[in-house]
Amino acid sequence: MAVLELHQVKKSFGSGHTKVEALKETDFLADRGELVAIIGPSGSGKSTFLTIVGGLLSPTSGDVIINGKNLTSLTEKARSQIRLKEIGFVLQASNLIPFLSVANQLKLLDKVKKGNMSKTERDQLYEDLGIADLLMKYPSDLSGGERQRVAIAKALYSNPSIILADEPTASLDSDRAYEVMELLKTVTKQKNTTTIVVTHDIRLVGYCDKVYKMTDGVLSSAIEKHIKRPQTVFEEKVAYTNH
Amino acid sequence: MFLAWQEIKRNKLRFTLITGILMLVSYLVFFLSGLATGLASLNREAVDKWKASAIILTEESDKSLYQSSMSIDQLKDIKAKKTAVIGQLNAIASNGDNKQNISLFGINKEEFLMPNVTEGRAFDKANEVIADDSLKDKGFKLGDTLSLSSSDQQLTIVGFTDHARFNASPVLYANLATFHQVKFGEAADQKKDQINGIVVKDDPILNMYKNNELDSIEIESFIQSLPGYTEQKLTLNFMIYFLFGISSIIVAIFLYVLTVQKISMFGVMKAQGISSTYLSWSVVAQTFILAFIGTALGFALTLVSGAFLPAAVPVSFDLALMVFYGLILMVVATCGAVFSVLTIVRIDPLKAIGG
Repeated sequence: MAVLELHQVKKSFGSGHTKVEALKETDFLADRGELVAIIGPSGSGKSTFLTIVGGLLSPTSGDVIINGKNLTSLTEKARSQIRLKEIGFVLQASNLIPFLSVANQLKLLDKVKKGNMSKTERDQLYEDLGIADLLMKYPSDLSGGERQRVAIAKALYSNPSIILADEPTASLDSDRAYEVMELLKTVTKQKNTTTIVVTHDIRLVGYCDKVYKMTDGVLSSAIEKHIKRPQTVFEEKVAYTNH
Repeated sequence: MFLAWQEIKRNKLRFTLITGILMLVSYLVFFLSGLATGLASLNREAVDKWKASAIILTEESDKSLYQSSMSIDQLKDIKAKKTAVIGQLNAIASNGDNKQNISLFGINKEEFLMPNVTEGRAFDKANEVIADDSLKDKGFKLGDTLSLSSSDQQLTIVGFTDHARFNASPVLYANLATFHQVKFGEAADQKKDQINGIVVKDDPILNMYKNNELDSIEIESFIQSLPGYTEQKLTLNFMIYFLFGISSIIVAIFLYVLTVQKISMFGVMKAQGISSTYLSWSVVAQTFILAFIGTALGFALTLVSGAFLPAAVPVSFDLALMVFYGLILMVVATCGAVFSVLTIVRIDPLKAIGG
């Protein structure tokens, strides 16, 4: 069974002549251990797709099913519980809580999720993400890459089945961006999660198992891709030019 | 509580400012309550000392002890377990060097209005008085001979008692004969049956007399009728009540501004599934912590500064009342978090993450 299924999901805003179809009828499946990219320009409907999948926005029609549970038939409180326990978010600016140390960012999750991670698992996660030395630091003491690693640790903290990443590399330079994608790919395979990355940065698609293109609210079929990470600045420019 | 405390620890300056304001407001509340208690004591402590249930005055006196005048023979009409007669007048006493407004109480030594003696001895004969010990701070001492305004009679202080002020004046206790001499001078013999009132200890106080010219007044009602007492108390209490409101508004504004600054952070947390209830409780807990620290500091500051106040300042701290006001302050300050809670509940996580 797929972890995430979308059946004939549509989303429109407004009515009459001001009606905008942000997401046209969409079907989508994603399995465990898959790193999926949704690429497209600004305003193409990527974020609408992500917020519907994350249970933050209700579709106008269609069904969103996560691990067999239909999100569209649940109350906001129940959707909030699913976000808390089954979905990990990684956002553009990492959005760490500024007054909490790295250790306390994660301790907070222990408190709201009633502690479903053992100390051994926690230490392993710190090691895997390379943040064991950052635990006493505050977000303002961290670099952009370090902040995103902590954000990924937060997203993975309760062993969610889905990670939703919205432009996770937008505020990073190329090296840090590749580092973050490498990390997302590794944790997706290691933890056997489903990771969906929404981005307009085509340099990142080489890390993904499937790539979908979003154009004017239409999600294309999965693109067979094997774009490798550019090794040089020249290759990077070529990659941009070709897409 | 975890999120609330961590934020306070990390943003010490910001929260020290809020706590400081709450400390000053609570300091003002405690000080005003001390002033209200102190001023009330100035008026009533001699009456409280009676531990009586009522006082019987003439109907026409309108609850004024000074204006009431009756015959001691009317005592036989009173049906109460314990009775004590009292004569009262106001005067200015002088020992030659110092002058002071006083209230002279004429009493029977064997009745329950007789005060405890803390220094010296009780009066035995005519012209001897026991004085309230606040007169010591005004330069009066044991053995002083006092001359009184509007009287040729001279009195001698033979003892002191504590907590004996009436309507803001220290009380001199003398026997009835001395009181009559001071009040009526040469006519004292003809007026030796005149008293101002009869204080009774009984329960219930109704139907304790069979005379339409007299009025039985509960002690608390009698105190409330003392000139200026109620007005003064109401003024100070209004100031205290306004301060409760002001502290709530100050906290509400501060917290609302802080909450608005954190809207996107709360939005992201809500997007991650952290409930509005958890975030709201965090803000309420934070407010309570700040209110508790601010009030506790205000409490301590009040007691410390109270210890250094000159005796002339009529402040008296009632610890039980201060704790009660402290609790009210904490509750109203915490109510100030309501606007922040409403803001948190209304935050749309979708907007916060830019959806």
